[in-house]
Amino acid sequence: MVLLRVEVAAVTRYLLSRVGQAALVLWAAFTAGYLLLQLLPGDAILIKFQNPELGLSPGQIAEIRSYYAPGSPFLDYLRTLTGFLHGSFGYSIDTGTPVVERLGEALPETARLASAAFLLALVIAVVIAFAGSHSRTSWIRGALLSVPSLLVAVPAFWLGILLIQVFSFRLRLMPVIGGSELQQLVLPVLTLAVPVSAPIAQVLASSIDEVSTQPFVPVVAAKGASRWWILWRHVARNAVLPTMTVAGLTFGELVAGSVVTETVFGRNGIGRLTEQAVNAQDTPVLLAVVVLAAGAFVLVNLVVDLLFPVLDPRLRAAS
Amino acid sequence: MSPSRLRSTAVVSTAMLAVVGLLGACGGGDAAGAAGVARSDGRPVYGGTLTYLEHQPPTCLYLPAAGFYPNGGILNQITDKLTWQNPETLEIEPWIATKWEINKDATAYTFHLRDGVTFSDGTPVDADAVAANFDVYGLGDDKLKLPVAEFVNNYERSEVVDRLTVRFHFSKPSPGFLQGTSVIGAGLVSKKTLSLPYEQQCQLKNVIGSGPFTLKNQVVDKEVDLVARKDYDWAPPSSKHQGRAYLDEIKIIVTPEDNVRVGALTSGQADMVRYVQAYDEKTVRDAGFRVYAEPTRGVNNGLYLRPGNSILKDLDVRKALQAGTNAKEVVDTLFTPNYPVATSVLSHLAKGYVDLSKELAYDPAEAGSLLDRAGWVRGADGVREKDGRKLRLGVFVAGPQPLSKQTLELVGQQWAKLGVQLEIRPADSGTQAVDIKDAEKTPLQHSMVGRADQDVIKSQFHSENRDAILSHDEKLDRLLEEESAQPDEAKRNAKVGEIQRYVVDQGYVIPLFEEPQVYGAAPYVQGIAFEAVARPWFYSVWKSRR
Amino acid sequence: MRRPKARGGPASRGRGVRRPKARGGPVLAWAVIAVTLLWALVPGLFTGHDPLAGVPAEKLQPPDWHHPFGTDAVGRDLFARVVHGSVHSLSGALVAVAVGLLAGTLLGLLAGSAGGVLDEAVMRVVDVLLSVPGLLLALTVIVLLGPGTVNAAVAVGVGSVAAFARLSRAEVVRVRRTEYVEAAFGSGGGFAAVLWRHVLPNSLGPVIALAALQFGVAILALSTLSFLGYGAEPPTPEWGLLISEGRNYLATSWWLTTLPGAVVVAVVLAAGRISRSVGRENGREGA
Repeated sequence: MVLLRVEVAAVTRYLLSRVGQAALVLWAAFTAGYLLLQLLPGDAILIKFQNPELGLSPGQIAEIRSYYAPGSPFLDYLRTLTGFLHGSFGYSIDTGTPVVERLGEALPETARLASAAFLLALVIAVVIAFAGSHSRTSWIRGALLSVPSLLVAVPAFWLGILLIQVFSFRLRLMPVIGGSELQQLVLPVLTLAVPVSAPIAQVLASSIDEVSTQPFVPVVAAKGASRWWILWRHVARNAVLPTMTVAGLTFGELVAGSVVTETVFGRNGIGRLTEQAVNAQDTPVLLAVVVLAAGAFVLVNLVVDLLFPVLDPRLRAAS
Repeated sequence: MSPSRLRSTAVVSTAMLAVVGLLGACGGGDAAGAAGVARSDGRPVYGGTLTYLEHQPPTCLYLPAAGFYPNGGILNQITDKLTWQNPETLEIEPWIATKWEINKDATAYTFHLRDGVTFSDGTPVDADAVAANFDVYGLGDDKLKLPVAEFVNNYERSEVVDRLTVRFHFSKPSPGFLQGTSVIGAGLVSKKTLSLPYEQQCQLKNVIGSGPFTLKNQVVDKEVDLVARKDYDWAPPSSKHQGRAYLDEIKIIVTPEDNVRVGALTSGQADMVRYVQAYDEKTVRDAGFRVYAEPTRGVNNGLYLRPGNSILKDLDVRKALQAGTNAKEVVDTLFTPNYPVATSVLSHLAKGYVDLSKELAYDPAEAGSLLDRAGWVRGADGVREKDGRKLRLGVFVAGPQPLSKQTLELVGQQWAKLGVQLEIRPADSGTQAVDIKDAEKTPLQHSMVGRADQDVIKSQFHSENRDAILSHDEKLDRLLEEESAQPDEAKRNAKVGEIQRYVVDQGYVIPLFEEPQVYGAAPYVQGIAFEAVARPWFYSVWKSRR
Repeated sequence: MRRPKARGGPASRGRGVRRPKARGGPVLAWAVIAVTLLWALVPGLFTGHDPLAGVPAEKLQPPDWHHPFGTDAVGRDLFARVVHGSVHSLSGALVAVAVGLLAGTLLGLLAGSAGGVLDEAVMRVVDVLLSVPGLLLALTVIVLLGPGTVNAAVAVGVGSVAAFARLSRAEVVRVRRTEYVEAAFGSGGGFAAVLWRHVLPNSLGPVIALAALQFGVAILALSTLSFLGYGAEPPTPEWGLLISEGRNYLATSWWLTTLPGAVVVAVVLAAGRISRSVGRENGREGA
């Protein structure tokens, strides 16, 4: 009984400290982003309104500027921070619409793209790792196991362009303009999944290796278990933790990949929004994207960390 | 690398080569599916959606500021103008104004409006609304931060004579005003739109016009869907087609990648695209599609030199760069016959054009001796120097200009032979917005302007308009003002000639070529029309397939 | 931009990527790197063409004996551009790695050796760096510094600081616990001296392996930045710029984007291969 209470207290403490750390990281990311983005040369207002075609006077530009950012820097920081805490990210200078609205439009697109790409990456990784580790011909094995290194060596934008050219324009299998949502998703998902699958495949392959050399494997095999069954049962269980860790880390890869993929395929998502915000130096949008990405990363990894003790009995015992 | 790795890499490389081979082998695409010659004699059909791919997302759509070509595909469909400039004759013809009177010295214009025209919000297009439009375009509005339009000069006030008659008064002669009422920036919008501040008038959803199409749906920076107005019945009388537009819908999709636009067109995923690059014209044609290269009739694509810069303040240096630039080589290498070599600062189709090809002849020997005379001596690295300073000039790649980077690279090669170094900076709007207004940081600019009126040259050079050369030249400003206030057409053209000679003599400009707007369209897209400076007008377009 | 598995999750320890069989040295990989290095050092040895000045009349020619990689839109020899471009791409990647390596390793050493509050503080900073995706971080830095080869390289380097910091901290903590280092402390060695003489050299192996890996990653990241328009300035023949400039000619002149792309893939592959072999050798020594 006492023991149980101690354990519960420990787990609660662990949870609280992890959540606290996550919040701290987020706040620091916001502050760093805010400070950096305030230092930008030129600024969005100038870019948008100093177009010679508009013929605005410097006075008018100053007026527009004060409309967007009134008050002292510190007050502005506090105001922006409070806004973020309340889920209001200010207004995009480029389009004049609320940042939340632009994120709201872009987020589902990227979420669809990224989650589909992540699932496909998992499938690719599992296929490569299992097929690679268990083909008996050594050259096939070598070929399959070196695929991941090749996959990460290909520039994503180049891959995307080649895929469009071949599958959409030459073979006419998948339209990139028009066509159903599903058809439009195929090539971008593939482009994004390729680099993400590589690290997962590598970790899986080495887990399989490790398990295969364990002394219990021949024993179980001697008892009549099939090779595949052993693999599935033991490897899957042992590989899940490292794979999860890597998967959490590939989140950044998905975000970075979406910038390139969405630009190449002309899709409207967080990635393209980022690219446009950088181009127009639309600081409110950029800041929101940075904090959002950091938040998602922190959340994904928090979940992974919190799941560790649940999934790994050794850790549970240790804590 | 171990044998097995080596082999595996080889396998993958072979696969990659196969992909590449596929790219090469299929080059040219299949022309079999295309109909070859379109049946333009066919009877127009109503219905259908036109998928139109645009190179860049629209920018600010406050009409006087919306001349940017990507905006044209949208604004020409949702707004009408008082007058229609016939793109072939360049004559001004009736549209919303059925007729007009101009007093002798061009200081008062009276327009009689068509009855029964409405904005898409239901309000009438009457004298009151038209007056409100031009009051804003001619005078601006400080409170709403609305700037004056460059196509209206010397505007004083409007006068509503009766419900369908409006008169505009000018403080000085304003001969360009009639043509000004036909340009894209003079699109008529409802009073509700006009009452909004600048930032809101910039947004497409707030632009309420009386055009044949209205906005159905917009995904910012990605797609604009327009839908036909069923009750539209006020096309320019000279248009063969009257009544509602043939098409039901237009899908304008922003597709920045050049190869995707052209690939999507030739593989049947899009009906029409803007901005077909010169090297893709053949691809489009070979696939059985049509290339439309429309002239812009204005100030030519070229390099505009800023005399305020400490190197370029020397006339000899400017003239040397002019003489040392081989525009013909640029056109022959990078472009096609659709891009005629410039023979003046204006297009040969512009009003008041004079042929200055002799003055603009390529003469590298002359360029070299001019630079010698100006005291610039070749240094060890081949770049000229003077007082320890290198003859190095910076320029930004101009996003909207076709193949701007390649053009600048080629000009840079030509200048390198003269001992001049051209520093090409990528078009990054951040630093560009600040530096482009500084002659020291940006000694030259790559640009052009399209408009089929004499005033176009004023738009480019006047220190209160675009001011491409950041001029402090009072003589130039005076010449431009005289031009824009000259009511007599022949005298006005003569003044335009004088200005062309002046800016070329002063070495303010290195004209390169007459820039067209190049579109590609599927053979089944009929009735494609353009306004006088090459923006598309989809009112009479119909599709003969399906 | 890929992040190595530098996160010290309990279960990921000791599960580096290991090949089933020990293999011979990555000869081909070293050869690829050596050739590109020679390109960078003595480009004149490999090509007689000028990478910047082309012959306009010879534009857009497919690869042949005279122009092994063909020519571009203004008639420049593409092979010459790739060869002369290697100095820009390689030095860019080197700068990126140097930034990440120096800043990251210093942070890691500091945190790992000092421990306590300082360790906590430094690692939280590293957490923040790690939480923002590399490309986003690089874009922010580049908007701050402006585009250009060096700035892009620094921007990419900043993205890898976190990885180096975590790795070097973990190594320091590991090495510190070994007996001889404790012995060195025990025999009265000063903190800095022990750090310099024992901890640093022993932690170097994995850090070098990571550096080699990051070298390839940096080349990719730089070419991505060039593609987005924030990298080298034209007419610099930087590889990423070559690929991204050539892409619009894909339908008509396939070689313009494909061949420089293949070169980048080869170099990145080679860097990754070398990284693994260094990592493995090191693993054996450590065992």
